[in-house]
Amino acid sequence: MIRYLLVRGALLIAGLLVSSVLIFLTLRVFPGDVAQLIAGTQASPAQVEALREALGLNQPLIAQYADWIGGIFRGDLGTSLLTGASVGEELFLKSQVTVPLGMMALTIALLIAVPFGILAAVLRGRRGGTALSVGAQALAAVPVVWAGMMLVVVFSVWLGWLPPQGFPRTGWSTPGKAVEALLLPALTIGIVEGAMLMRFVRSATLQAAGQDFVRTAAAKGLTRTRALIQHGIPAVGLSIITVLGLQVAGIIVGSVVIEQLFTLPGIGRMLVADVGTRDLIKVQSELLVLTGFVLIVGFLVDLSHHLIDPRQREAA
Amino acid sequence: MFRRTRRIALISALAATAVILTACTGSPQPVATSTGKPDADASLAVGLVLEPTNLDIRHTSGAALEQILIDNIYEGLVTRTQDNKIEPRLASEYEVSDDGLTYTFTLNEGITFHSGTALTAADVVASYEAVRTDATLQGNADFAAVASITSPDPTTVEIVLTAPNQSFLFALTGPAGLVFQTGDTTDLKTAENGTGPFTLTRWNKGSSITFARFDTYWGEPAGVAEVEFQYVPDFTAGVNNALDGGVQVLTAVDPNLASQLEDSGDFTLTTGRTTDKATLAFNNAKAPLDDVRVREALRLAIDHEGLVEAVGAGTTLFGPIPELDPGYEDLSDVVSYDPERAKALLAEAGQKDLELTLTIPSFYGTTVPKVLISDFAKVGVTLEVDSVEFPAWLEDVYGNHDYDLSFVLHVEPRDVGNFANPEYYFGYDNAEVQRLYAQALAEVDPDKSAELLAEAARLISEDHAADWLYNGATITAVSPAVTGFPKDSINSRINLAGVTVLSEK
Repeated sequence: MIRYLLVRGALLIAGLLVSSVLIFLTLRVFPGDVAQLIAGTQASPAQVEALREALGLNQPLIAQYADWIGGIFRGDLGTSLLTGASVGEELFLKSQVTVPLGMMALTIALLIAVPFGILAAVLRGRRGGTALSVGAQALAAVPVVWAGMMLVVVFSVWLGWLPPQGFPRTGWSTPGKAVEALLLPALTIGIVEGAMLMRFVRSATLQAAGQDFVRTAAAKGLTRTRALIQHGIPAVGLSIITVLGLQVAGIIVGSVVIEQLFTLPGIGRMLVADVGTRDLIKVQSELLVLTGFVLIVGFLVDLSHHLIDPRQREAA
Repeated sequence: MFRRTRRIALISALAATAVILTACTGSPQPVATSTGKPDADASLAVGLVLEPTNLDIRHTSGAALEQILIDNIYEGLVTRTQDNKIEPRLASEYEVSDDGLTYTFTLNEGITFHSGTALTAADVVASYEAVRTDATLQGNADFAAVASITSPDPTTVEIVLTAPNQSFLFALTGPAGLVFQTGDTTDLKTAENGTGPFTLTRWNKGSSITFARFDTYWGEPAGVAEVEFQYVPDFTAGVNNALDGGVQVLTAVDPNLASQLEDSGDFTLTTGRTTDKATLAFNNAKAPLDDVRVREALRLAIDHEGLVEAVGAGTTLFGPIPELDPGYEDLSDVVSYDPERAKALLAEAGQKDLELTLTIPSFYGTTVPKVLISDFAKVGVTLEVDSVEFPAWLEDVYGNHDYDLSFVLHVEPRDVGNFANPEYYFGYDNAEVQRLYAQALAEVDPDKSAELLAEAARLISEDHAADWLYNGATITAVSPAVTGFPKDSINSRINLAGVTVLSEK
C-alpha cells in the first residue's frame, strides 16, 4: 500500500511538473504583452522596452519559468503584472463563485443521473427505457451555451423567476440572492453533465445485473429489480466515483463557458479576462491550480479504488 | 413615540396617494421628488462600462483610469475643462515667459495630501523629476524637452524647457502633471494618496469603486458625501440596472438603448462632445495603400452620413483634429461620398478586384465593419475583417505595422502629432506635415500655433493619410435629482466637484 502511494504520488508530482512546463510554453505563443498594454498607444518603443524590463518580461524564458515555479514551491502563486494583486487571494475570492457553482452542478447532475440511469437500466428493452436512453443521448449532445440560453428564455424571460445573468454585488452576505444567481448556470451544467453521467449509470447498472451475485440473489427469491437495487447498485458506486472524477474536469471546463454566458465573477471569467490582458503570470498560476485540482481528484479516485477494491490491491 | 408613528403613517398615506395620482395621469414625467436643495450627505451611484485594470495612474495608460482619478483623487498644477481648455488647479496661477521657455507656477495655499501631510513645491519638483527621468512613467516622452524643474521658494515651481513646446502645458493636465507625496510608499496599484476632493474607500474588483468626500480638502469641498462607480460591461445590463434604480447616472449609453431610458421618465439624456476619433487607419507604408489614389478611393467610397446614422451617435469628421482641439477646421470639402469617382480612381491606380483586410480589436463590435464591407463592395473592393484581441492588435498593428486597414477609436486629445511621426503605425511620412507640426509646437502664440496645426491637418486630410469615420459623442443618462454632472469629454474626465444630489421630500 505504501509502495503504491509513493509511486502514485510521484506520478502526481511528475504530472504537475509536466503540465507546468506545457502551460508556461503554450501561453508564450500569444501575440502581444502586458507591457505594451500598460504603456498604451502613445508610448514610444523605448518606454515600452523600459517597462518590459521593469516587469521582468525580457528575461530568458528559462529564468522566467524558474522564477514562477520557484515561487510556487514557496507557496506563492505570484502577483498580477497588471493589478499588483496577489494571485492566490484573487483565486480564493473567485472560487467563492466557482466552487459553489461546481458543487451545485454536480449535485444536480447526480440527482438526474442516478435515479434516471437506474430506471433506464431496469426498464431496458421496454419503451420507457428506450425513451430515457434516447433522451439522455440527445441532452448530452446539447452544447452548454445553447442549453443555458434556453433555460434563460424559459425561467427568466417567460416565467421571470430567476435572474438571467450576474451575481449580487453583495455576494454571499445575501445568500438567497447568491443561490438564485447560481441556480440557472448550475442547472445548465448539471443537466448536460447529468445526461452524460446517466448513460454511464445505466450501462454500469446493466453490467452489474449480469454479475453472478445479482443472479444468485434473484435465485434466492428476490425479483430481478429488487436484486438489482439491493445488490447491484452498491457495486456500481465504485465506477461512478471514477466517472465523477472525470466529470469534475468537465465541470471546470464548463464553468469557463457558463460564467461568461451568465457574467458570473468566478474563476472561469477571470481566466478569460486575464488571457485577454496577457497577464501571463496570473494565467499560468490559475491554470496550474486548476490542473492540479483535476490531477489530485484523479489521484484520490485511484486511491479510493485501491482501498475499496481488494482485487486492485492484490494486483499492485 | 406615538406621535412619530402617526406621522410616518400619514406620510406613507400621502406618498401612496401621490403615487396613485401620478399613475392615473399616465404621464411619463418624473414624479417631483426633489425639494431642490442639495443634500450634502447624499451618495451618488454612477454606472460606467470600462473598468480600469489597476489604479496606478503613473504607470498605466487608459481613459478608464484618468476618467475617474484625475481631479477627483489626484490633482496636477493645471487641469482641463470639459471643452479641453487649460485652467489652473493646484497652481493658483501660472505664467509662461515670452520666449515660451520658462513656466512659473504659484501654488494654492493649504493643500494637503490625503495622508494629512502638507503639499509643498518640493513634492511637485520630485513628482515631475520622476516623470522626466523614469521612462516607465506615463508622460515621460512629454518631458523630453524639460531642462530643469526647480522651486525658488516653497510656493513656486519653475520649469524650464530647452525649446518652446505648445503641447507641454496640456501634457501637464494628464497623468504626467499629477503631484504625489515625496517618499510616499503607498502601493498605487490598489491604493492612493492624492490631494483631490475625494478619497478612495473601496475597490471591489470587477464590480465597483467607491470614493468618499475628503473633508479637509483645500478647495471647495465636494457636493456629495460618497460616490460609487459601478462597472457593468454589458450595455443592456447597464440600462436594466439604471431602470431598476441601481444608479442615478449612466455614462456611455449605447445609442440604440438610449430611448428606453428616456421613455422611462426617470432620466434625462445629454449628448456630450468628445475628442474620440474613430480612425480608419491606412497602412501608408505598404502597397497598395501607399498609392494616394487608392486611399482617396476608399474615402470616397464611404458614406459617412450613413455610417454616423448606423453608429447612432457622433458627427462626421474629415480630418485629424476634432472640434474640441486647437486647429479644428471643417474639412468636409476635402472628400465627399462619390462611389463613381472612387471606382475611376481605383481603375486609374490599376487596382482591379482589390482585396483588403481590416484588423479591428474585437470589443468594437460589428457595426462599423459591416458598413465598410458594404460600402467598399459597391466600388469593387472586397473587405475581409480580422477581429482580434486588443493585445494582438497592439503587437501586430501598432507594434509591427503588419496590416492593411485598421480601426481604432483614438480618444486622446491633441494627438494630431501621430501623423507627423513616420514611426507611428499609420506609416504616414510627409516632410511638410512634420515641418508644420514642429513649427506649431515651437510657436509661442497659441492662436498662431492653432493656425499651423489647421494647415497641417488639411494637408493630412488631402493626402488621405487615414479616414476619420466619425467624431464620437457620448450619451449620458442623468436622473433629475442630480445636478452639475459634466456633459462633454466625460469618457476622459468625470469631474465630480460640482455634482450635487437634491434631497428627496
